[in-house]
Amino acid sequence: MNTIRFERRATSDARRSAAFRVLGAVAGILVAGLVLLITSRNPFTLLGDAFDANFGSQRGLEETAIYATPILLNGLAVALSLRMKIWNIGADGQFLMGAWAATGVGIHWAGPDPLVLLVMALVGAAAGAAWILIPALARAYWGVNEIITTLLLNFVALQLVLWATLGFWRDTKSAVVQSAPPVSANLPVFPGLDFLHIGFIAPLVLTAVLWWVFRSSTWGFEIDTIGGNPRAAAFAGINVPVRIVLVMLCTGAIAGLSGMIHLSGYAFRLNGGISTNYGLSGFIVAALAGGSFIGLLVGGLFIASMLHAGITLQAKGLSTYIILAIYGAILLGIAIGEVAARYRMVRERYDPATEAVR
Amino acid sequence: MIDNAFLSIISVAIPASTVVVFSATGAMVTERVGVLNLGQEGLIGIGAVYAVIAATEWGVASPWLCLGIGVLAAAVLGAIFAVAVVIFRANQVLAGLAIALGGVGLANQLGTNRNGSLYPSKFTEESPFGLGGAGQIGEAFFRHYAIVYIAYLVVPAALWFLYFRTRHGMNVRAVGENPAAADAVGVNVLGMRLWYTILGAAISGCGGAYLVLTVTRSWSPDIARGRGWVALAVVIFAAWRPFRVVLGALLFGAMISLDFTAQARGWDLPFMGASDLAFLLSMLPYLVTLIAILTPAGLARLGLRTRGTIAPGGLAIPYFREER
Repeated sequence: MNTIRFERRATSDARRSAAFRVLGAVAGILVAGLVLLITSRNPFTLLGDAFDANFGSQRGLEETAIYATPILLNGLAVALSLRMKIWNIGADGQFLMGAWAATGVGIHWAGPDPLVLLVMALVGAAAGAAWILIPALARAYWGVNEIITTLLLNFVALQLVLWATLGFWRDTKSAVVQSAPPVSANLPVFPGLDFLHIGFIAPLVLTAVLWWVFRSSTWGFEIDTIGGNPRAAAFAGINVPVRIVLVMLCTGAIAGLSGMIHLSGYAFRLNGGISTNYGLSGFIVAALAGGSFIGLLVGGLFIASMLHAGITLQAKGLSTYIILAIYGAILLGIAIGEVAARYRMVRERYDPATEAVR
Repeated sequence: MIDNAFLSIISVAIPASTVVVFSATGAMVTERVGVLNLGQEGLIGIGAVYAVIAATEWGVASPWLCLGIGVLAAAVLGAIFAVAVVIFRANQVLAGLAIALGGVGLANQLGTNRNGSLYPSKFTEESPFGLGGAGQIGEAFFRHYAIVYIAYLVVPAALWFLYFRTRHGMNVRAVGENPAAADAVGVNVLGMRLWYTILGAAISGCGGAYLVLTVTRSWSPDIARGRGWVALAVVIFAAWRPFRVVLGALLFGAMISLDFTAQARGWDLPFMGASDLAFLLSMLPYLVTLIAILTPAGLARLGLRTRGTIAPGGLAIPYFREER
C-alpha cells in the first residue's frame, strides 16, 4: 500500500515561497468569489465591471495609479521594517499624521508652490516618523512588541484628524462642513494627463532606492542580518537597537510622506475619510511580496486596482467592506501558502521492514 | 438616580467594559495555549452582526439564543483561524490580521442596511441578593444584566479554578509555556491548541453579541471601534491572570465611558470647550492602553519589577514535533 506523506523541508527557498504566497492569495480571492456567488452576486460580471472600471477608460487608469501611490508607499514602508522582522501595522496612523501635519502647513501658509510643497513633504514625513517614535524606542530598548503599540496609535491619529476637521481647523467658509480648508499648494498633474499627479513617481523612485540599498549597501546588509538573527548581528558588532529605531523611523517617514502626497495630489483637503485603508492595503502588499521590493510594485498595482474597483462599483454591489473581507481571505491564503512552501509531498511505498522499525 | 460623578462613571463603565472583558478573556484563553489571535476586532464584529441578524431577520425571541448564535458565528471564524495556525502552522500574526480584517469587512457587509435600526433589549437587569437597592453604591455596582455578572465573576472564577486547581488546567498551561515538554508527557498539544483557540474565539464573540444586544441596541459599522485591540493590550497588562484581566478591562472601559460622561454632564476645562475635551477624551483609552503596555517592560528595565514579562513561553510559536 502506498501512502502520501507531507514532509517538512529543512530549508526555505525564496522563489518557491513567493510562488506559494501568490497561489495562496489567488486561492483567497477564489474563496471570496465563491462567497459572492453564494450571496447571489455574480463574481464574473463583477470581475468584468471591475476590469472595465480600472482599465476601460483613461480616467479609470489614472485613478488606479492615484490609489496605487499611497498603497505602494505604505507597502514599501511595511516591507522595509519586515526585512528586520518588524511589523509596522500603524501605517494608517502615520499616513493620517503626515496628511494632518501637511494640512497644518498648507492651510496657514500661501507661499510659492514648490517651497510650500517641500515644507509640507518634510513636515509630513517628520510627523509620520514622530508617530512611530514611541513604539520604535519601546521595541528597540525595552523589547515591547510593536504590533499592538503601532496599531493603537492608528485610533489616536484618526481621533486627532476628526478633531482637526470638526474642531480647530474646520472650514467654516465652505459647504463641505466636515473637513479642513483646502491646502494652498497642490502637486502638479503629469503633462497630458487629467488627474494623475507627479507624486506617482515617488514610490517608483523609492523602490529603486530600496532595491539598491538592500543589494549593494552595508546598511541593507546589516538590516538583513538583524532580520535573520538579531543576536548574531549584535555579536558581529552591529548596534541593533539603534538600527531598529532608525529603520522604524524611516518606515514612519515614508508612510507620513504618502499622506502628504495623497493630500496635496488628490484629496486637497483633510477629512476623516482621507485614508480608505491605504495603510492596510500596503500591509497586504508587503505580506504578499514578502520583503521583495520589485514584487511589491506588481502586487501594489493589483491591490490598488482591487480597491479602486471596490470604491467605484458601490452601486453594482461591491463595497469597501467586501474589499476588506477579500483582503482577509487573501491574507489568510498568503499565511497558509507561506507555510505550504516549506512542505513537500512524499510518496511512500509500503515496506514491512521500515514499518516494523517505526 | 445616581448623582455622584464617580459612581455614575462606574455605573456606565461596568456594562460598557463588558465587551473588553469578554474579548480580553477570550484572548487570554487562546494565549494560554500559546496561540496569539490578533483577530479580536473581527470576532467581536462577527459575534455582534450575527446576534443582530438573529434578533431582527430571523425573529429569534430569546435574547440568550441570539447571544448563542453570535457566539457560534465567532466560534466558526475562530475555527478557521485555529485550523490555519494550529494544523497548517501558518504565521499567527498574518492569520490573526486576516481574521481581524476579514471579520470586520464581513460583519460590516452583512450589517449593511441594518444601520441604526434600534430594537429593545430583551435582557432584564438583575440585582443579586437585593444589593441593587443599597443606595447609590448598590445601584452603580449591582443593577446590571445577568451576563455582566457572568463576564466579571463567573467566567474568571471558572477559568481560575481550571488553570490553577485542576490537572487539566495545568496541562493547558504547559501547552502554552513549553509545548515540547507537554508533548513529551503525553499531552495532546495540537488538540488542546485547536479547541482552546476555538473556545477563546467564542468568548470574544460573546462580547460582540453582548454589545449589540444590550449596550448599543443597534448595528453600526466598525462596531468594535478598537476595543479588540485594547483587549489584546489588557491581556499583556494583566499578565495572563483571569481576575486581573477583568480588572484591567474595567479600567479601560472606564476610560472609554469617560467621554460619554463628560459630554452628558457638559464638563469643560478653563482652556478648552466641551466638544474639544470630548475629542481629547476619546483618544485617552488608546493612549492609556499604550502606556499600560509599556509599563511592565519599563518597570522591569528600571529594576523595579524582577520578573519582567510573563508571557506564555510558547506564545505565537507554531509547534512542530519533528523540531522538538
